[in-house]
Amino acid sequence: MSRRRSIRFTSEGTRFLLFTFGIGLAAINTGNNLFYLLLAMMLSLIVVSGLLSEHCLRRLEFHRHVPDLIMANEPATLTISVTNRNRHMPSFSLRMRDVVEGQEVDRGLAIHVLPPQSSRLLSYPLLGTKRGWIRFDGIVVQTLFPFGLFLKKGRYAIETHLLVSPPIKPLALRFVDELVNEGQGAALTRRGDGSQLYNLRLYQPGDDSRAIHWVTTARTSQLVVRETEAEDQRRITVVLSIVAPAECEPLFERSVTFVASLLWQLTERAHPVRLIVGTEDSGLGSGSAHLMAMLRVLALCKRQSPESGHLGQQGEHSPLTCEGGRAYTLAIVPWSDQATLTNPVQADRVLHATQLEELTHAF
Amino acid sequence: MPFNQAFALSSVTLAATAFSGLVLAQSVPFWLALPTAIILIISLLHAGGVLFLRRAMAQITDSPTLWNVLLIGAFVILLIDLTVVSRDLLPAGIHFLVVLLGIKLLTLQQRRDYRHLYVISLMAILASAALTTEAWYVPIFMLYLLTAVWTLLLYHLTQETSEISAAATLPGTVACRTTFPSRITYRFFWLTNGIVILTVALTLAIFFLIPRIGVGVLQKTSGEAVRTTGFSDRVDLGTIGSVKQNPQIVMRVELPDQSAGGKDRFYLRGLAYDQYNGRSWSHSGTRQRSLNLAADGTFLVRPPGSHPIDRPSETIRQDILLETLDTSVLFAAPFAELVSGEFHTVQADAMSGIHLPFPPSSRIRYSVTSQVPQLRANERTASTLAYPDSIRFHYLQVPMGLEQVADLAHRVTQRAATPFEQTQMIQQHLLENYRYSLESEVATLNHPLEEFLFTRKTGYCEHYATAMVVMLRTVGIPARLVTGFLATEWNEYGSYFTVRQRDAHAWVEVYFPHSGWITMDPTPTISAAVATSRWELLSRLAESVRLQWDRLFVHYSAKDQLAVVHGVREGSDAVRERMGRWVSSLGAPISQAFMRLTHMAQAFHSGMFGLITGTIVVGLSLVLLMLRDRIALWAVTHLLPKSLPQRAIVQLYTRMLRIVERHGVRKPPAATASEFARLVELEWKAAGPMVADVTAVYNQGRFSRAPLTQDDLSRVTEQLGQLQSLARSAP
Repeated sequence: MSRRRSIRFTSEGTRFLLFTFGIGLAAINTGNNLFYLLLAMMLSLIVVSGLLSEHCLRRLEFHRHVPDLIMANEPATLTISVTNRNRHMPSFSLRMRDVVEGQEVDRGLAIHVLPPQSSRLLSYPLLGTKRGWIRFDGIVVQTLFPFGLFLKKGRYAIETHLLVSPPIKPLALRFVDELVNEGQGAALTRRGDGSQLYNLRLYQPGDDSRAIHWVTTARTSQLVVRETEAEDQRRITVVLSIVAPAECEPLFERSVTFVASLLWQLTERAHPVRLIVGTEDSGLGSGSAHLMAMLRVLALCKRQSPESGHLGQQGEHSPLTCEGGRAYTLAIVPWSDQATLTNPVQADRVLHATQLEELTHAF
Repeated sequence: MPFNQAFALSSVTLAATAFSGLVLAQSVPFWLALPTAIILIISLLHAGGVLFLRRAMAQITDSPTLWNVLLIGAFVILLIDLTVVSRDLLPAGIHFLVVLLGIKLLTLQQRRDYRHLYVISLMAILASAALTTEAWYVPIFMLYLLTAVWTLLLYHLTQETSEISAAATLPGTVACRTTFPSRITYRFFWLTNGIVILTVALTLAIFFLIPRIGVGVLQKTSGEAVRTTGFSDRVDLGTIGSVKQNPQIVMRVELPDQSAGGKDRFYLRGLAYDQYNGRSWSHSGTRQRSLNLAADGTFLVRPPGSHPIDRPSETIRQDILLETLDTSVLFAAPFAELVSGEFHTVQADAMSGIHLPFPPSSRIRYSVTSQVPQLRANERTASTLAYPDSIRFHYLQVPMGLEQVADLAHRVTQRAATPFEQTQMIQQHLLENYRYSLESEVATLNHPLEEFLFTRKTGYCEHYATAMVVMLRTVGIPARLVTGFLATEWNEYGSYFTVRQRDAHAWVEVYFPHSGWITMDPTPTISAAVATSRWELLSRLAESVRLQWDRLFVHYSAKDQLAVVHGVREGSDAVRERMGRWVSSLGAPISQAFMRLTHMAQAFHSGMFGLITGTIVVGLSLVLLMLRDRIALWAVTHLLPKSLPQRAIVQLYTRMLRIVERHGVRKPPAATASEFARLVELEWKAAGPMVADVTAVYNQGRFSRAPLTQDDLSRVTEQLGQLQSLARSAP
């Protein structure tokens, strides 16, 4: 943790210094020792100011607590804990400023008094406006203590990164329903309501007694219940094409937001979902952890210019097949080169730029 | 107490302190001091939270027109003051400052007003510093410093509090803050006072250390000089009586070499007079000579080329702080030999009086070394004394018409066998037959001496001294009258004499050819009231503080700074000497042997000592050269920071390369560290395992993610040590 100091006069400090200078001149000119005494008093106030402000900024420890992932345009709470490692003296009038990607940002964080060997937890809201990483370089702590003559700053380098996912927007329910009902959604071999046998396991308190598999129970002399395989879940693969020229950047971003929102909706409905973005493949899965993993992929995906020659990268991952059978595939193509390839992605349904414009115009 | 209230209270106290400084410097007239003091009291009560005053003040301060009118009025008063009343910028400026202070106290509302008040207070304390050098400035300054620290601190904290309140009311401001306790807590009180103590300590340190580069060209005079009598060219008989009841201090005299015992009377000689015309004394010669400047700014009173006279005498050194007097005379114990002080010129007259060219414009401090002559034994018993003609010419003069006095002198001394006995008898006669009284109105009489001796028989020092001088002269003994001060007030706290106007005195100097001028005092000792009451003791204590203040602060100069530096150096020399003695007592046998060797060497050859020293130096250098590898190894492992093991291992590896290279195995530039280790194993088999070990640690440090530990470094150091031993033992 590196510490650097800078000092700046306040307007009061500048005046004070001018008066000190004036008294110094008077003392030198007249040789009057009482003027020297007053000069010494003013100089000592400056020195004491420097010593105490340094004392306030020394032996402080900062820790930043950030969430793993936050949504763009959704306020999130960040926390900074400040500890005063001084043994005897408190620190006064501390003001903290965030250093975000080299820029100092005032979040209105202030501690008037921090007793020795104690900590304070300061929280503040953060609104990520665009997806991707936010880099926090450190914290600048400043104080005017004790006399407000100088503003002394100390910089504590604590580098932290925060990932911002694309925002989640409401989608038309009809579109999502259509999507789910369309195509070849296949039953996933997982527990659920159904008639096919999925598994046999030992009876647990609370299990339905009608599910007891009596044959096995009789054979093993242990209560064994029968689990069935769920039949109504459809597997959906969402492929996002990241190839788009610079002028399509707004639509690309809206497409990313659309994909994030769609994944959110599908996860809410407990569908097994797979996301393919460029070379990134989330794999098939469901639940909030899987959603977070997919949102992380979306947070970091970058548009690629058509000139870079990486068209159709998603084909490397065989998106159309997976264990358990073929999934329903939805391709999101914000831009397609009409001259060379009409449908760059092999999918059950492809949403092109015009449809995406229509679906995301309200984002 | 809430912060805001404490802040207002400390601000007004700051202003009150600065105002007190001006009042004590007697620079504020009563008509101005009284209303300002009333305003200050009201402001203090208002700040203290007196309710009805708060309402009243709120009503008053709501009228800006009134305050504009008051400000214009203040400017008008300044102009009138400057042109008609004071006719001087400094007093008029101070009056204006006080008026502004009063107006500002009544309009204290915004923070800007408080800042203005602080500026006015600073100007006021500055003005009082310019106007005084008295010791009352100490408490005023300390109080000012105390309130300044409190005020500045509270100003800052209240500003922060108000900023936070303002921020909290702004829409959309979401700030997480911890708040300061809004009242003065016990901890805060002591913390602030701790800051005050720190500031005071730093102030004193800076004050004493700050270089005095000022030449004092525009230094002010310290006001009106103290009027003295008895030190002009002509002194009318009876003039000293006018000051004999004046307690004003004229000087303080320290005797650095003397102990406290025997200091009941101390004569401080001013001027001597040789001509008496029946009513007044005067000098016969007015020639002054400038004294020679010896080393260190010391003036030598003895004429150039003369040698000190071999007389029995007592040496007395005095440090004298002389108040601003209207005379240029420098007082000292008889007779001054050396004078030092911040003077450019010092003059002396023919009767050993010392002067400055002009009366000093401010307090001066000087040191004098005097030789007080003692009467030789042979002159006590000599029946006749042979006086030089010049002495007889000047010091046997008596005015005409003093036959009655001469008769008295002869009558008194008729049984005396020696001049010394004559002197004693006259002195005794005066001591026993006349009464000391300050009520003698003999100054206006035509024949004051005869009135004193034959009619009233009461008088004071001048009458006694004049009578003795004239009587001695009429019997043929040269004598002269001396005026000065007789110090009797010893300050036991400061170890110095306080000399007041009332200590002005006149006495006699009697000439003895081989002993010189001997001081004799025919005035009876007045039983001085012994200061035993608590107030008098306190007054002496205060007086001592005043002297210290004057010495340490008012007259602190670059010379004193040098003296402090010398003192510190001498102190360190003394400590070193003491340490040396201690060490020598410990190693006495060794040092004795060494001394004997040195003496032998010196006796043998004058250059032997140098030779031995040279040999030791060369030997030490050789030892260092031989051990350089060990020292370097130690330095790498011990002096490099523990957080930089990578740098350490690189340096150790480089050292290993050097050792191996000295044995003839050089690392090819293209070879990696591991390749080189294998090469060493082939060419110098014994060193192979050590080199391999060091190389492994080096590779780990340079290229592996596993960090090096201190144990690794210690192991490498050990291996290098073995490698060195191997290299030395190898053919």
